[in-house]
Amino acid sequence: MGSWGFIALAYGVATIALAGYLILLGRRLREAGEELTALEREGERKRR
Amino acid sequence: MDHPSWLGRALGALAGLVLFVGMYLGLVLAPPDAVQGQVQRIMYLHVPSIVTAYLAFTVTCVASVLYLWKRELAYDAVAVSSAEIGVVLTGITLATGCIWGKATWGVWWTWDARLTLTAILFTIYVGYLMLRAFAEEPQAAARYGAVLAILGFLDIPMNHMAVQWWRTLHQPSSILRPGGPSMDPVMLGTLVVNLAGLVLLYTYLLLKRIRLERTRHRAVALRLQRGRRG
Repeated sequence: MGSWGFIALAYGVATIALAGYLILLGRRLREAGEELTALEREGERKRR
Repeated sequence: MDHPSWLGRALGALAGLVLFVGMYLGLVLAPPDAVQGQVQRIMYLHVPSIVTAYLAFTVTCVASVLYLWKRELAYDAVAVSSAEIGVVLTGITLATGCIWGKATWGVWWTWDARLTLTAILFTIYVGYLMLRAFAEEPQAAARYGAVLAILGFLDIPMNHMAVQWWRTLHQPSSILRPGGPSMDPVMLGTLVVNLAGLVLLYTYLLLKRIRLERTRHRAVALRLQRGRRG
């Protein structure tokens, strides 16, 4: 592998790691929000 | 810690823009190194990653001390969020370091003091995240985590000084060294832009990750409240 091959590999690994983390974080945030909303709705229903 | 959504989006966009400019400077505009040639461009990714990881673990350490002092979960949310991003950045540092090592030293890995201490730093904070995942109560997770985070932070000054304390294959510091930076001004400027981009991205991710932790805390509180009533 030449110099530019190593550079592309390094930038590729970093981009995949950061983009992957960002996507995963967004998904976890959405799921946690949905869970909280469900819990709040259930609580309201029980109170009624 | 709640912030308007436009602020988060603006921060994310700014981080993306600065990182894009930094990448252009690092891959196109900055001159190749006199000794290493083109492959030295990995530095514009490798060095900002570890510096930002140090920042992330410093935030974790400070927030952990504040948690142990005040016992408020808001500080713990900052600590765990920052540690998680720090682990991602340290992972990137290790990966880019291995690639750079293979290109310049001819090996992917060597048990050099700097490399070993960076691997230990990564392992400590992966352990921190695992410890927290196994603890059943949020307060217990926060307490054990805070102690480990503070102890783990001691690895950072050792890691920084490793190239001076021991004979290492890793090159000595080019920026934080007695007598000032020993780098070409264009290279130094490129490094600063890339560092700024990564710090902005860290801040954006931190705000997002703290929001996740707060949402989880609210869900746990609701479940506990319901458990007491039921």
